[in-house]
This record gives sequence, structure tokens and C-alpha cells, in this order.
Amino acid sequence: MRYRRGLERDGAAPYIFLAPLLVLLAAFMIYPVVMNVVTSFTEWKGYGPWKWIGLANYKTMFADGQFWTSISNTALMVLYIPLSTIVTLLVAAFLREGIRGWKVYRAVLYIPNLLGYVLMGVIFSIYLRDDGALNVLIRAVIGAPIRFLITPVLAINVVGFLLVVFLHLGFGLIYFLAAMNGIDKEIYEAALIDGARFWKTFIKVTVPSIRFAVEFWVVFNFIEVFARMFSFIHTLTQGGPGYSTFTLEYGIFIQGFSKFKVGYASAWSTVLFVFCAIISIAQIRLMKSRDK
Amino acid sequence: MKKASPFGRFARLAVQAFMALLVVVSVLPLYNIVSASLKSINEYPTNPILLPQAPTLENYQYAAFSGHLLQFTVNSLVMVPIGVVLYVAICIMAGYAFGKMRFAMRRQLFLLVLFMSIFPQLLLATQVSKLISLMHLTNTGLGAILSWVAYFSPFGTYIMTTYFTDMPYELVEAARIDGASQYRILWSVMAPMAIPMVATLSIIGFQSMWNELPFSMLILQQESMRTLTVGIAVLRGQYGLRVPILSAALVIAMVVPLLIFLLFQRYITLGVTAGAVKG
Repeated sequence: MRYRRGLERDGAAPYIFLAPLLVLLAAFMIYPVVMNVVTSFTEWKGYGPWKWIGLANYKTMFADGQFWTSISNTALMVLYIPLSTIVTLLVAAFLREGIRGWKVYRAVLYIPNLLGYVLMGVIFSIYLRDDGALNVLIRAVIGAPIRFLITPVLAINVVGFLLVVFLHLGFGLIYFLAAMNGIDKEIYEAALIDGARFWKTFIKVTVPSIRFAVEFWVVFNFIEVFARMFSFIHTLTQGGPGYSTFTLEYGIFIQGFSKFKVGYASAWSTVLFVFCAIISIAQIRLMKSRDK
Repeated sequence: MKKASPFGRFARLAVQAFMALLVVVSVLPLYNIVSASLKSINEYPTNPILLPQAPTLENYQYAAFSGHLLQFTVNSLVMVPIGVVLYVAICIMAGYAFGKMRFAMRRQLFLLVLFMSIFPQLLLATQVSKLISLMHLTNTGLGAILSWVAYFSPFGTYIMTTYFTDMPYELVEAARIDGASQYRILWSVMAPMAIPMVATLSIIGFQSMWNELPFSMLILQQESMRTLTVGIAVLRGQYGLRVPILSAALVIAMVVPLLIFLLFQRYITLGVTAGAVKG
């Protein structure tokens, strides 16, 4: 953000331009976040009177198995971020080499991003169920279905793999290909003349040249894991089996909107808010280091 | 002459095969939905994976009318574009203010907006739905639209800010010397130049709002008001709904996003890179 010094300010106009945005944000974001902290100290059903109960919600939360499952599930999904980064970078580098039909590949792999989490969640809930298409094939080969959405440890890994690695692939390809476009072509030509193979140029040229894009990609994935998973989980597993695919977001939904323990859900929300604040700080720092 | 390649002949084949496999694996779930949607309720259990033997449109008819998918599509097609227009207007104004104007607290406000662009919806959902009900907007399109525009504007503002920041300052100065007011500079000079970016922003807004679930789900509880996304999520939760019918509903819901893709692919590509990549 460059700022011209020595020029007068623009008076009221900027505030008028910003007014609609700021009014909406005050009402729909700042107020809810502040109220959320307040209600986290109360027992409240989401309607009717509040009862002030101090830190009781937090005490309950830290003793709640569902809370810790949500935290460890989120951590598990974070572990998929390196895999997602490597796979996406590699496929983008393949496409950059002008593999025949690369535009078709890019378009087809983008379809999940286009359809969105809700449609993809429902589509995979049909595809992966015990009597679904994939299990018809698996049964033909190994004689028994793989219970992707019924076995707790499988279910959470399916969610992690699909959301972090598979669903973002098409988005990441476009993103990385655009970044790779900015690399000087002569470097690649020189590397070829030197007889450098794909792996060598990938590690020595491609990845270092788009370092900032890679870092943004990682931050983007953190945001997705912490703050954008609800729709996919809600349509794929609905948090189940049991609560084995809960994340903080899904837990907030169940506590607040299904059990009507809004005060308690708010305590979870406060934790989620802290995580998001940390991610946001990382993002802002990254932007500053890039702009230098 | 054949282009030099960093792959050996074998590696090249392996990469081609890997890519082909990747595409097949990612298309299979979609094929499965389309094929199931064309099978009768009786055929599906006996033929779950092959192409339909006696293709039928009865599932579509059921999903569109008894399942109200047609109504939901119309609802989305009315609400989302209105939301996009509001969103674009708000983001252009705010982006211009942050990108090209000078005022107190500019930096702090911009960081605040940036911070809000990553808020999880579930953090806000309780209070947002409460607020909408206080405004007597529960079950109204306006209620849903307001919640969407508020939630998605920070990111849109960020995109427009980076865009306006990179525009040459001389344009603003020249217009100023001609005596144009700030409002004229924005709407007659800057906004028209930003049209490709505005198209990109519109696509981003459209996709975000079209696919939005949590707020719409809480605000639009009445069946006749549901958006397509809410409708699909509710159908998914309906116990005992047959796969062919659910599949037909999914295919109906895919039509608009796919059309948008075919018509505006260029802007979608731009949208992915907007605001972030600069090497």
C-alpha cells in the first residue's frame, strides 16, 4: 500500500465511500464477535434470558472429549497441507511442461471448485457409502467394502484428503501455473541445455521462483481448514460417525443449533477466533514481506 | 523439430499416464451421479455403476417439481445476482478509498478488513441469524442477501484495493486538475478502467454467494424461500431419499455453475489469481 506524502487528505469522501462496508461489517461481523465473547460467559439457549456463569463453559469445554476430538481432527487436516502443496506443485509443473491436453486437464480438475463444497460433499457421500459405486468396485476386487464414512479413523482422513488435497487441486493448478508463467523462460532453456532433468529444475528453479505463491497457498489452506470446512462436513459426514469428524466449526454448529447450548458454543467460538487471529497475523506478515 | 523436453521418453509416458489417471479418478464420482440420475428407482440397486439400461427422466421430473429444485433454482437466480450487484458496488467504493485516497486510520481500517476476510461463518452465525430476525428479515431474500454481502465484502474489498493501488496515480491527478469531484473520478474514470477486474470480482461474488450454506440455511428456513444450495443440503439430510432422485437433484444444481464456467472461464482464471500472486 503506497502512500503519497505531502498531499492533502481527501476530506469526507473516503468515509462516504467506506460507509456501506463499515456499517455492514459493524453489524454482521464486529457486533457478532463481541457478543460471542459475552455469551461465552453465560448459559443461553439462543433466545430468552441469559444466566451469567463465569468461566463454567470454558471449564466444561476443556473437559469435553468432543472438543479435543475437534482439535485433533483439525490438527490432522493440517497434516494434509504439505501433501496438498507438493501434489499441486508437481501437477502444475507437469502441466507447465506443455503436456498434451493440459488445458483440458486444468479445466476438468477445476470442476470440484466450481460446484462448491455442498454439491461435492453430497456427491462423495453417495460415491463413498457402503453400497456406493466405489465400493461396488472394491467389493468385486477384495470381496468386502471399505467403510469410508463409517469407520471413524477412515472418515476423518477421507474428509482431510478430499478437502485439502483433492478439492483444491484445480484451484491450486490455476494459481501455481499463473505464478510459474512469471518465471523467465530462458532459465528453463538454459537448464535444458545443461541437461537438467525435470526434478532438478523443479527443485532448483520452479519452486524457489514462486516461493511467495507457495507460502500464500499454505496460508490459504490453513484458512480453509480452520474456517471454511463446515459446508463440506455437513454434507459429507454430518460430523459422524458419532462426533469423529467434528471440527471446531462443526462442534459450534451442533452445540449451538442442534443442542441449543449457545453459551457453550460461544466458548468454542472463542477458541476458533484465537486460531483465526493467529492465521491472519501470519497472512499479514507474509504480505508485508512480499511487498518489500 | 520436436520440442526439447526435460522428461525422458519413459518419464514423459509416465506423466501422461498419471495425468490421465488423475482425471479419470476425479471424473468418476461425477459420472456416477449423472448415470444414477438416469436410472429408475428399480434399476439402480441392480445396476449401480454401469450406464443406465433403460434411461429415464422420471427422477428429474420428481426432483424438479416434488423436490422443488426448480423453485430453488429460481430463488437462487433472483437472490444471488442482486447480492452480486450490491457486493460489487460496495467493494469498488471501499477498494478505491483504500487504494487511492488519503484519510486518517486508513491503514488500521484496511488491516481490520483483511482480518475479517478470513472469519469463519460459524463464529458469526448465531448473532447474524438473531440480528436478521430482529430486523424482521427471517425468510426473506433481503435478509440472506445482506448477510452474504456483509460476509463476502472484506475479501472483495481486498481484491479491489490491490487493483486500485496498482493503477497509476497520474490518472487520479489528471482528473483532479480538470476539476472532477472524487465521485466523478471513481465512477467516470477509475471504475470504467477496472471493468475486467469488476467482471472477475462479480464471478467471485457469484460463486461465493451461490455456494453459501450456513447463513442461508439459518435465515431461509421456509421451504419456498430456500436457495439451491440450501435445498440440496436439506435433501441430503432427508432420510431414505433414493440415490437416483438425489442424483437428479445434484445434476440440476450443477447446470448454472457449469454454464458460468463455460461462459466466463477467463474471469474465473483471473479470479483465482486475484489479489495474491505476484510472483
